[in-house]
Amino acid sequence: MIWFLRGLRRGVVTTRYPAHADPWAEALPTPPSFDPQKLTFELAERLAAACPAGALRRDGPDLVLDLAGCTGCGRCCEVGGEAVAASGSFELATHDRGSLLKRIPIGADRD
Amino acid sequence: MSVAVRRVSESELNQEIAALAANPAARFADLFGAHEQGRVLVRVIYALDQEHRYLMLEAPVTDQGHPAISDAEPAAYVEECELFEQFGVRPSGNRPLNRVLMPPQSENTFPLLDGGRRAAVPRELRAPLHVRGEAFEFPFGPVRVAGWESLYMGLVTTGEEVLDLYLFHWHKHRGIERRLRGLTPERGLFFVERTEGLSAASTAWAYCRAVEAAAGTDVPASATATRAVAAELERIYNHAQAIALLCQTTGLSVGQAQAEIALERCLRLNLAAFGHRYLFGVVCLGGARRAPDSAAITSLLPAAVTELERAAAALLRTNSHVDRLETCGIVDERTAHRLAVVGPVARASSVPIDCRRDHPFAPYDRTVVSVPVGTAGDVLARMEVFVAEIRESKRLILELFTEAEAEVATLTGRDGAGFGWAESPRGETLAFVAVDAEGRIERARLRPASVRNWRAFDDAARARNVFTDVPIIEASFWQTVAGFAR
Amino acid sequence: MTEQQQVEAELHERAVALFRRSLHIRTFDSGSCAVCESEIRLLSSPYYDLHRLGFFFTPAPRHADLLLVSGVAVRAADHALRKTFDAMPEPRIVVAVGACALGSVFTEDELVHGSVDAVLPVDVYVPGCPPSPLALLHGLLVAVGRLEEKVQAFRFDLRERNPA
Repeated sequence: MIWFLRGLRRGVVTTRYPAHADPWAEALPTPPSFDPQKLTFELAERLAAACPAGALRRDGPDLVLDLAGCTGCGRCCEVGGEAVAASGSFELATHDRGSLLKRIPIGADRD
Repeated sequence: MSVAVRRVSESELNQEIAALAANPAARFADLFGAHEQGRVLVRVIYALDQEHRYLMLEAPVTDQGHPAISDAEPAAYVEECELFEQFGVRPSGNRPLNRVLMPPQSENTFPLLDGGRRAAVPRELRAPLHVRGEAFEFPFGPVRVAGWESLYMGLVTTGEEVLDLYLFHWHKHRGIERRLRGLTPERGLFFVERTEGLSAASTAWAYCRAVEAAAGTDVPASATATRAVAAELERIYNHAQAIALLCQTTGLSVGQAQAEIALERCLRLNLAAFGHRYLFGVVCLGGARRAPDSAAITSLLPAAVTELERAAAALLRTNSHVDRLETCGIVDERTAHRLAVVGPVARASSVPIDCRRDHPFAPYDRTVVSVPVGTAGDVLARMEVFVAEIRESKRLILELFTEAEAEVATLTGRDGAGFGWAESPRGETLAFVAVDAEGRIERARLRPASVRNWRAFDDAARARNVFTDVPIIEASFWQTVAGFAR
Repeated sequence: MTEQQQVEAELHERAVALFRRSLHIRTFDSGSCAVCESEIRLLSSPYYDLHRLGFFFTPAPRHADLLLVSGVAVRAADHALRKTFDAMPEPRIVVAVGACALGSVFTEDELVHGSVDAVLPVDVYVPGCPPSPLALLHGLLVAVGRLEEKVQAFRFDLRERNPA
């Protein structure tokens, strides 16, 4: 009986996801977003070197982000300054493994 | 190095170990192999807790060149099997070895630690057991209840009573120590955190201390405080998990729900304080890369711990729950010493060891850590140790968090070897790292507490327990297969 | 697509639609660090309560509709993994969770495949290290077609927020 009452008294803590977002979830580690205009080839290479998971690499004119490998550690954000910040996106599930590879054009060294 | 090293010959090795095994003040801590100029070197670590130091014996060994170390030191059996599987070195005589990391092979070869060499494997699976009477063997696993790690249990039973229990962990052997060879220590840290992810902060701490010792680098005091705050938060959430799992195994659903609520609050506290629910990415080489968010700690920690303590207190007043825990899964003091267990499992069995107090390292060397000890050695005693440790961890966090900063010292020195330790939620976790002249890992040895403690699980499960007690005992041990199998 | 393939695809889609509000999940640990398991366990905790979505864990592969796999696909677990999958009646869905299972952490070697899709046909990939219970719920809802995938539309460009 005591446990029944304890349970009732505690109230409802259940998330309303997916109907409503959870505010605490904004603090979750998420993959980075980039400002292509602030990316240089040199910075792109430094970002790739900084990534402990190997989720960033430079491929020609693009920076490739592998969401499958990104752990959201934020090291690229530290190195990248204004060019990189956490995206806040954690709903990344997909049927297509290829969609997890994102190409970001390295814009600052162009034109 | 941060440990006294003594070199002996292969023929002296067993004598030395026998002397240490007979010494009540010496506790077996680890045994592992390494390569040295084409030979295999074995390193044996003993902890002299009252003298506040570790001792490392080194001896070059050859295949079948020495008698079984586990004859003198029964606790070393698991590591002796591991030595064979990683380096192909067996003891002399025909003592059978268990498969610890590798499954029984259909072809008589398996890969060794350095990746290249293979050695013949005699067809042994488990030391033969003669069971009298009408007992049968009941395989269970490796696939188990939702969210429980893969683990194979061989139960030998007459129906209810557990006569014997043996475990196969090799379904989860990822070969982390192999993978660490040739990596830089920085890259290696990524894998070290994921060796036993539930002890990410403490395992990373032991590893970083080993690399820092090899490089002769001192970590700033403020960073050591950060490391401790992370490690104590880790202890709290792990103990909350254990309490929730104990309720799951005793069938007290509402108690489980209450404990899970407290657990989730602890994980959100971790997220708010350090940016990751499981504290990955906090401890780094040379210090700590994230400082704890003070506002998060002051606003979230007391409430989360109070919730957890209230749930635990209610559980300890619930007879139907406590009845399942009392006298269940007893590890007696003699067994705890004989198998050299660590952590709450040891402390609940009258073995008062804790490397934060016995082998103090910053910041624990500037504070007094109170170590709870139980005498009954049963599941209830382990739960009571968890509850006491939660309280102590909260106290330590509140004492240290104001001085905790994100500071990283640059590692000086390139090559060398170092030994590090930390107190994970499961007990003393050790690391040994040797770095070569190019700054790459030559040998990294990780010995999470789970490597020491699973052995006692077989003993705890045998005799006077029924097999519905086995999950309860497993929850009270709260070890991981990941940490054992690596 | 041939007509046969079209029919098969439609049949699969309609069969999977049966799982939308009633799904039984079998979990498999193929060599994780134990943290993905912790997040998976929390799905049945009061904060997340997967039951409210009609999802249930089942201990038997025979009753399972969906196989949730974590870990790096240690070769020594192949036999158990395949047996679990083969024991599941069709239609069945495989969801790989966590960076390890997606093949990004451990490269293939003698001990591990490194990626679950080296052993089983994976339907849905859920990134994260670990994926939080919310990310897992999103993955499960995508797997049964109750939520649309979002990641294709995300550009990870700081000048515009990824669409919610």
